[in-house]
Amino acid sequence: MSVLKGSLTYVRFFVDGDLPDDFRERFVKAIRLRAMKPLEPDDEVPERWGWSRLAEPFELELDYESVFFNEYLNVGVRADRWQIPGAMLRAKLREAEEVYLTKKGRERLTRKEKAEMKELVSRKLRRQLTPVTRSFDLSWSLQEGIVRFFSAANAPAVAMQDLFTRTFGLKLVPEAPYTLAARLGLSKAQEEAWATLEPTSLSAEENA
Amino acid sequence: MQLVDRIEKRRFVGRELLLWLWFESELFEGTLSTREHGEFGLWIERQLTISSGKEVTRIKGGYPAGSREAKEALLLGKLPEVFGMHLSWRERECNFVLKAETLSLAGLSLPTVLGAEDAPAPLLDRPTPRKRKKAESPDPSDAEHEVFYERMMLAREVEGLVEALFRDFLTLRLGPAWDTLVAPALKAWSRGDDGVDADAYRKVRDAALGKKRR
Repeated sequence: MSVLKGSLTYVRFFVDGDLPDDFRERFVKAIRLRAMKPLEPDDEVPERWGWSRLAEPFELELDYESVFFNEYLNVGVRADRWQIPGAMLRAKLREAEEVYLTKKGRERLTRKEKAEMKELVSRKLRRQLTPVTRSFDLSWSLQEGIVRFFSAANAPAVAMQDLFTRTFGLKLVPEAPYTLAARLGLSKAQEEAWATLEPTSLSAEENA
Repeated sequence: MQLVDRIEKRRFVGRELLLWLWFESELFEGTLSTREHGEFGLWIERQLTISSGKEVTRIKGGYPAGSREAKEALLLGKLPEVFGMHLSWRERECNFVLKAETLSLAGLSLPTVLGAEDAPAPLLDRPTPRKRKKAESPDPSDAEHEVFYERMMLAREVEGLVEALFRDFLTLRLGPAWDTLVAPALKAWSRGDDGVDADAYRKVRDAALGKKRR
């Protein structure tokens, strides 16, 4: 989902912590350090997350001008993942196992051999495929201390929070009624009421 | 108590916010107001999800809140989880979906002037690698920046309006007016009673919010 086109779907996070004095230079360096490194067939990991340019998942050269839009820090969050169709993997694995067992003159593979065979076949298949790429935009309003992440799904948000914290050394707190109430500020009397608040029910049974 | 637990324990407040918005929108015939924004149009349209645990009622249509099913779901103890809203403010119209437990916006259509609003998003095909010419600037274009600023400004306006409504809601919810005025009115409204007097409700509500009566 892009911040630049179409309708907007996003969740907000509050940044927990203060910006360092030299945050602009420091953040550009930190972003470059964790810029997306595209997945290669021999990589050990099945999935990788990293930064890209806003709305341009294949543009991985990140500099000051591409990251800072005045008081906003804007980047893309890119994820590469190997997705080998299950049926294809099973068929190729069966073939490889048969060849191996015939060669060894045995009837069964050990558990360890099975795992190694699966890894070998997966790696071979990866050379014939390209990883699936997903991309999400992220906009950090530096003055507000709010990050807008343009995805409604939970898994990308969790991965993004981890990448964000590793990059900037700051934690993100997801938007919720609790956090928004705290940010808007409650009076002492309201805080006391908030602490003992119970849900209101309109249930006909309960109100009978 | 950990922050995450405090967040979880108060998620129901978002559902009550949606319930209150639904009630006021219906009572005031789609015209709400806040001190900061003045009057604006706000009503539920397209979708409404009301739930309690695993019991979910999903209603779609032009005015889903008007269906009998919707009020019946409330009487079964369910509360709104998600609804589509139409906002009409300062001669601008926009639609969005508000999610109660995260207060997040989805499908926010903006009345933008810049950029190709309806252009389809490009597919994530791996592009043919190309060498950047030295003369070509690596910076995002000025036009892209302008589109971004305009869209963020409009999105922040909608956020500001939702926050102002949430602030008003909290003032009522955390004050004596909730038990004496709002909760009884909500119960009567959900039962379909004719007893909710919009003018009387507005008078007491505005006093509780410290507003001058219009």
